[in-house]
Amino acid sequence: MSLVILLAVVVLAGAVLSVQAAINGRLGESVGVLRSSLLTFVVGAVSTGLLILFFEPAHALSLLDVPKWQLTGALFGVVYMMVMVGAVPVVGTAVATVAVIVGQLGMGMLIDNFGWLGNPAIELSGSRILAMVCLGVALVFMYRSSRQAG
Amino acid sequence: MQTLDEVAVAAPVKKAGLRLLLLPLVILAGMGLSVEAGLLGPLGVQVGHLWATLSIFGVGSAILFLLLLFAGPQKGPALTDLPRWQLIGGFLGPMYVVVLTLATPHIGIAMTMIAILSGQVGKSVLIDHFGWFGATRKKVNAERWLALGLIVVALVLIARG
Repeated sequence: MSLVILLAVVVLAGAVLSVQAAINGRLGESVGVLRSSLLTFVVGAVSTGLLILFFEPAHALSLLDVPKWQLTGALFGVVYMMVMVGAVPVVGTAVATVAVIVGQLGMGMLIDNFGWLGNPAIELSGSRILAMVCLGVALVFMYRSSRQAG
Repeated sequence: MQTLDEVAVAAPVKKAGLRLLLLPLVILAGMGLSVEAGLLGPLGVQVGHLWATLSIFGVGSAILFLLLLFAGPQKGPALTDLPRWQLIGGFLGPMYVVVLTLATPHIGIAMTMIAILSGQVGKSVLIDHFGWFGATRKKVNAERWLALGLIVVALVLIARG
């Protein structure tokens, strides 16, 4: 897949994610975060399971063959959810969102640069740093525009 | 899975001491999201993208089920009483995770995250401006257009490597 198409798909996934968050936010308000998350995860697991049964080709390795630490991804997601539930009412949504993004991008750069967790090592280049700076400034603008509106 | 839309509903909150204590925790939680993406990419290459996605939703479901069981009775209506459209979120989550496992081996985790954030900002700005999906048309101020422009520049920088 060419890089541009891949990038477009990822951007689209970001848009899908924010639609999902909007729907789940409403859901969480009425039934509580635990139940709304469980519902999302169960529907996600069941629909992925169906897709696997009918469309996934066979692979040499299964989930049971890989080292166990490779299966711990979901734990980070659940811990993230719990931290946000506790912290957002205290620090505010805007600050929490920016803090998450800082952690996300910082850790992302570290994993990329050193090739941790079995990822291909991608050295920190000038254009990657510039991309980060652009995003950082964009966040500042988003934050300022929201303060004016509020 | 978090979204940037939340920046747009900023509410001032007090309790300065607790805030400073919690902030590093929130940053750590954000770092966890990248670790999750970092685990997903190589796993997807080895066992298949859908299987990697199932591992996330399967393990997540199991943990949340146990948490819910021990958390005791929950407030609010039963899940079966909810409007059906509110259940769509469950189908959108896997799309996002599959794309994560597809993209990270090619463009790396940090750049994948930037592209995801771009989609979030773009979605909120364009929906407000054009009033798509039945949203009320709102005037998008210059600062948010600037933010969107900067994000496009970031994407071009990633695409050029």
